[in-house]
Amino acid sequence: MRGRIIHKSDLVKIVEALMKTHRVVAPFAGRGRDSYFDVVTNENKNDIAIHVANPYYPPKRYVFPHMHKLMTIKAGDKPSIEPNCVDEKVAVFGMRSCDVEGVFHLDRFYLGNAFKDTYYEEFRNNLFIVNMVCTDTKTDIDDDCFCVCADAGTAAKAHFDLQLMDLHDESGEFLAVAGSEAGEALISQPFFRKATLAHVSRRKSVLGEVRKRFKTATSWYSAVTKYITHGGEIKDATWKKIGDRCLECGACSYVCPACTCFTVTDRPAGDGTFNRVRVWDACALSGFTRMAGGHNPRKAVHDRRNRRFFRKLSHYFIQREFTMACVGCGRCVRVCHGDIGMPQVVEILRRETAALLQQEKA
Amino acid sequence: MSCKNGNLYQPSIVVLDEVRDEIKDVKTFFFHFENKTQEDTFRTFMPGQFAMVSIFGAGEMAISLPPSPTEDRLFFTTRKVGSVTNAMHGLKPGDKFGVRGPYGNGFPMKDYEGRNLIIVAGGIGLIPLRSVILYALHNRSKYGKIQVFYGSRTPTDLMYTENLSQWQEDKGFECYLTVDKPDESWKRNVGVVGSLFKLPGVEMPVPDTTVFVCGPPIMFRFVLADLITMGFKDENMVSTLERYMKCGVGKCGHCCIGVAYVCTDGPVFTLEQIRKLGEVI
Repeated sequence: MRGRIIHKSDLVKIVEALMKTHRVVAPFAGRGRDSYFDVVTNENKNDIAIHVANPYYPPKRYVFPHMHKLMTIKAGDKPSIEPNCVDEKVAVFGMRSCDVEGVFHLDRFYLGNAFKDTYYEEFRNNLFIVNMVCTDTKTDIDDDCFCVCADAGTAAKAHFDLQLMDLHDESGEFLAVAGSEAGEALISQPFFRKATLAHVSRRKSVLGEVRKRFKTATSWYSAVTKYITHGGEIKDATWKKIGDRCLECGACSYVCPACTCFTVTDRPAGDGTFNRVRVWDACALSGFTRMAGGHNPRKAVHDRRNRRFFRKLSHYFIQREFTMACVGCGRCVRVCHGDIGMPQVVEILRRETAALLQQEKA
Repeated sequence: MSCKNGNLYQPSIVVLDEVRDEIKDVKTFFFHFENKTQEDTFRTFMPGQFAMVSIFGAGEMAISLPPSPTEDRLFFTTRKVGSVTNAMHGLKPGDKFGVRGPYGNGFPMKDYEGRNLIIVAGGIGLIPLRSVILYALHNRSKYGKIQVFYGSRTPTDLMYTENLSQWQEDKGFECYLTVDKPDESWKRNVGVVGSLFKLPGVEMPVPDTTVFVCGPPIMFRFVLADLITMGFKDENMVSTLERYMKCGVGKCGHCCIGVAYVCTDGPVFTLEQIRKLGEVI
C-alpha cells in the first residue's frame, strides 16, 4: 500500500472525481447530533461533513437496501418474470471503519457460502468505498462506540478502496491509502502528494491518542463467545432477564451494519403485476419464525434475544464469516430503549454466568 | 452469474396439469416445466430435498418434494394452511406458477445402500418420506429390509391411498397402517404409530438400520422414545425439519436453528445432529 497526502481543501476533488462515474453519497450534519448519508450534488458538495457523528442509518443500505425490488412478476395466462438488475455505480465517501468491516461481514455472508446472492453481488461490484478514519474525539466517536473491542477500528485494515485519515496538524493534511486497484488509480491524481515517513509516524501517534477515547468501552467478548459457543453455560434465567428488557421493536437489527436477515413479499403494482420486494427483517419481531398455521418455534422474547446474540457471537459463525457479526459501531446501544445493546448484553452474560457458575460449584 | 442469467431468486415457470384431492384440505398438484432444460436441471433432486414455489401475487413458500426422482411425473402435495397454500389450492389445470430449486441436502440414499430402512410417518409427514419409499423400491436390490409404519387420525386422513394399497400387496417390503379413530370399515390396527412396533410378527432389525421419522411433534417425541428403548442410536435416526423460509438458499435467516440453516445445512438431520444444534427444537 502506498501512502499519499492530500490537503483538507482538496478532499472535495476526490468527490468530484468520483462523481464523474459514480453516484456519490456522503455524510452531512443535521440538527444536534443528527447526521445522515445523502447524495452529493454540485450544490451540496462543499457541505460534506468530515468530522461528524456516524449516521444511525448505516451505509450498508448501499449494498443491501432497506427495501429492494427483486423482480416484477406479471401474473395471468402468460406469466413473465422480469428481474430488476442493479447497474448504478455508487461511491460512499466517508464510510467509517466499523461500517467497512460491516460490509466485509456481509461479503462473507452473502458471497462466501454455498450460494452467492445475485443482487448483493451486483450492488457490491458497483460499490466504491472511501473510508474515513475516526480521529476527532469530540465528534466522530462518542461514549457508545466500542470498535476497539470488536477489532474493527478505529482504522480499517482492509476492504476499502481508499482510506482517508485526518493527521490533525496545523497544515490540514490527510493521509490517503489505496486498498484496491481503483483506489490506486484515484490516488495517482495530481492533487495527491507523496507521503513522508514523518506522516506515517504521525498516523501512528494520532491512532494511539484516539484509542484513549474509548474509556467506557467494555464489550469484552472472549468469555461470552466461549459461553455462547459451548451452550448450556448461560442459564435461561439470564436470557429471560435480557428478554424482559426487549421491547420487540427490531431497531437493533435495522441499524446494525452486520445484520443480514430479510423477508420477501409480493406487492400489487396494478394491472395484474406484482413487485417482489425484499425488506429488512428483524429476529426481535414475534412473527420472524412463525410458520403457516401459526406454530412459532421461537415464540418467547428471550428465545429471540438468545437467537440474536448466538448468531452474532457463536464461534461456529465466526469461523464461517471470519468476523463476529458485531463491528462495535454502537448504534444498537444508541437506539435501544431497553438498554440491551451489544456491550450491555455482553456484560450481563459475562457477570451473571460467572456468578451462576460459581454458585453451581459451591 | 448475473441478474439476467442465473439469478438465484428467479423462479422457472411451470404449468399445472392436474389437481388431485388427497384428504381434507390436502391436494396434490401435478405440473411440468414450460422449459425442458429447466425441467432436466430440476429433476436432479434427491428424496428429502425441497423447492420454493411462487404463486404469483400470493408469494413464495418452501415445500418438500414428494415425488421420487425415479418417477415420471412431478408434483407437490400441500395442505391449505397459509396465504400461499390457500392461493395454490385455488389453481386450476392450465394455470401457471413458479418453481425454483431443488434445495437442501436431501437424504443421503447412496450412503444408506446395503442398510435396512425403517420409515415411520404420521399424517402428512408421509409427504417427504413418500419420495424415500419409492426411491428405495425402485432400487430395491440395493437395500436390505424395508418397513413402513404409517399412522393417521382417521382412515380418511391417510395420504396417497393409491400408493398405500399398492404397497399392501407388494411382497418386497412390509407396510403397516394404523389410525387413532377407526370407522366401521377399518379392519387394521388402531392406536398410535408406536403401537405398530409391538404388533405380533413385526421384527425391526436394529443393527445396520436407518430409521426415517416424520410427523407432528407429539408423534415425534413418542416414536423417538420407543425407538431409543429398542436400541436405535441417534446417528441412525433421520428426519426433516421445517421452518419458515423466504429464500431457500441460506440468506434470509428465518430458518436458522442454532448453528444450522435448515435450508442449506438441512432439512435432513440425524437425531445426533439435531441434539448438537445448540437450540431447543
